[in-house]
Amino acid sequence: MASVSASHLIIFIASILVAATVAGTITATVADMSQSLETQGVDVSDQIATDFAVITDAGAQVYDRDGAENVTLHVKNTGSRYLPDDASQIDVFVDGEYTTDVTVTIVDGTAWTPGSVARFDVAAPGLTTGDHRVKIVAGGHEEVFEFRL
Amino acid sequence: MGFSVSGSAAIIFAAMFIAFGMFYTATTTSADRVTDATDDWRDRSLDLQNAAITVENVTVESSGGTYAVNATVLNTGGATLAVSRTDFLIDNTYQTAFVDRAVEGDGETDLWVPGERLTANMTVGSAPSRLRVVTDHGVAATEVIA
Repeated sequence: MASVSASHLIIFIASILVAATVAGTITATVADMSQSLETQGVDVSDQIATDFAVITDAGAQVYDRDGAENVTLHVKNTGSRYLPDDASQIDVFVDGEYTTDVTVTIVDGTAWTPGSVARFDVAAPGLTTGDHRVKIVAGGHEEVFEFRL
Repeated sequence: MGFSVSGSAAIIFAAMFIAFGMFYTATTTSADRVTDATDDWRDRSLDLQNAAITVENVTVESSGGTYAVNATVLNTGGATLAVSRTDFLIDNTYQTAFVDRAVEGDGETDLWVPGERLTANMTVGSAPSRLRVVTDHGVAATEVIA
C-alpha cells in the first residue's frame, strides 16, 4: 500500500514539473511575441506619422551657393512627429552615392518639429553640368529632389 | 493519479490565461497606436488636398544696396493655414526675419483662412529673382520676379 502512495507521489511530482516547464515555456514565448508586437506597432505608427517634403526651388541656385561645393536643400517636416536633426540618423544619396558629409541646421527653431524647416548642406565636390538627384531618407520616409546644373 | 492530472491541467490553464492576457494587451495597444497614426495621416492628407495658394503680386524696391520685397499671397484652397508655418524662400535663401506679416492687415493673427490674402515684407541684400512660398503640408507656389 505504501508503495502505491510512493508511486503516486512520484507521478504527481513529475507531472507537476512537466506542467510547470510547459507553462513557463508558453508564457515566456508569448511574452516575447507580445514585446515584438508592441515594438512593431510603435515602428509602424512612427512610419505613418513621418513625412517631410523638399521645399527648395529647383529653378534657383541649389549648388555651390556659398562657394563650398555644397548642394543646399530646405526640407520641411510635414508629418506629425519630431524628426531627428542629427545627420548621423539621416541617409543622403547624391546621384545614388551615399554621402556622409552632411550638415543639418534647423532654420526656424531649435528642433525639427512638425511644420519646421531644416537646411541640408550636402557636400558634393566637382558636380558636373547636367541633371542630378538627391535622395533623403529619415524615419522610414524618403524624398527625392532633382535639379539641373 | 487523478490529482496529478488535475494539478497539471490547472497549471497549464493558469499559464494560458496569463499568456492570453499579455498577448491581448500587446495587440490592442499596438493596434490603437497604428489606428491613431492612420487617423492623423488621413487628416493630414485631407488638409493637403484642400490646401492651395497663389502668389498674386511681388514688388521689389531697392534702397541703399538693400531690396525690400513685398509679397501678396492668396489662400485659394479650402483649408485654414497657419501664418507661422508659412515659409518664404527668396533665391533659395530661407527668410527668418520679416519686416511684417499680416493677413488682410491683421499682423497679430496666425490664422490664414480661405479667400484671405497674406502679405509679407522682407529685406534681402541682393536683387531677388525668384520667390517661393510654402505652407503647411508642403504646398508651394513659385513666382519669378521680373
